[in-house]
Amino acid sequence: MTVSEIIRSTHLGDIEWNSGCELFLPGGLPGFEEEHRMIPVEVPAQRPLVFLQSLDNPDTCFVSLPVRTIDPGYRILLSEEDRSALVFETDRELSIGADVLCLALLVPFENTVQANLNAPIVINLHNRHCIQALSAGGATGYFRLGDGGRWESVC
Amino acid sequence: MLVLRRRVGEAIVIGGEIEIEVIEISRTRVKLGVRASRDVSVLRREAIALAAENRMASDLIAHRGQQGVGDLLRLLCEISGENPQAEPERVDM
Repeated sequence: MTVSEIIRSTHLGDIEWNSGCELFLPGGLPGFEEEHRMIPVEVPAQRPLVFLQSLDNPDTCFVSLPVRTIDPGYRILLSEEDRSALVFETDRELSIGADVLCLALLVPFENTVQANLNAPIVINLHNRHCIQALSAGGATGYFRLGDGGRWESVC
Repeated sequence: MLVLRRRVGEAIVIGGEIEIEVIEISRTRVKLGVRASRDVSVLRREAIALAAENRMASDLIAHRGQQGVGDLLRLLCEISGENPQAEPERVDM
């Protein structure tokens, strides 16, 4: 039986969640190493944004986008260590959407935002283990939201 | 910079408490093992810059708030063609 709980998010308000949507971050995220549990949250009016709310700290919340809403041709390249952290036992190619969910954190930049597609949040959809992968997009680099709502590669 | 040569299975010790052992060497990579107390932060160097970036990312909603985020990304929401609603919901996994 699944029991619902409520996290009182500083930024999103009360969110009801259950263990079926909990993400496990064994090593936390760089800069947030002590936070090991998160939930992904969608606000319908702000789709396709995905908020990543920490369950360990109600103040910590990230705003993210699925990487392919930024770069439709994005392919995931994981290191051996990252595959191991996500508990993928074989070295077969991983499918975004079927095996993993890849989210890019949005970082404020002047009056807009940018996203580092080389360091996406990668969620194993089979076990909900989650890491922030380094160099996961090869030489993809940074994208910045420009005029007209278009994403532009900046390096 | 101090430069030391080590073989697989050999190690160096830093400050008497942190041990770094060479586990495996391939053509282009070295696998290292680190023994240290839990309060010692061990990061890949590129993760240090990422930590600063992540702290900025967490400031996005903290400083601009939900409304600011919504304003900033309204164009994206229009592109996605979603009907606005108020209540947050979990993402189906």
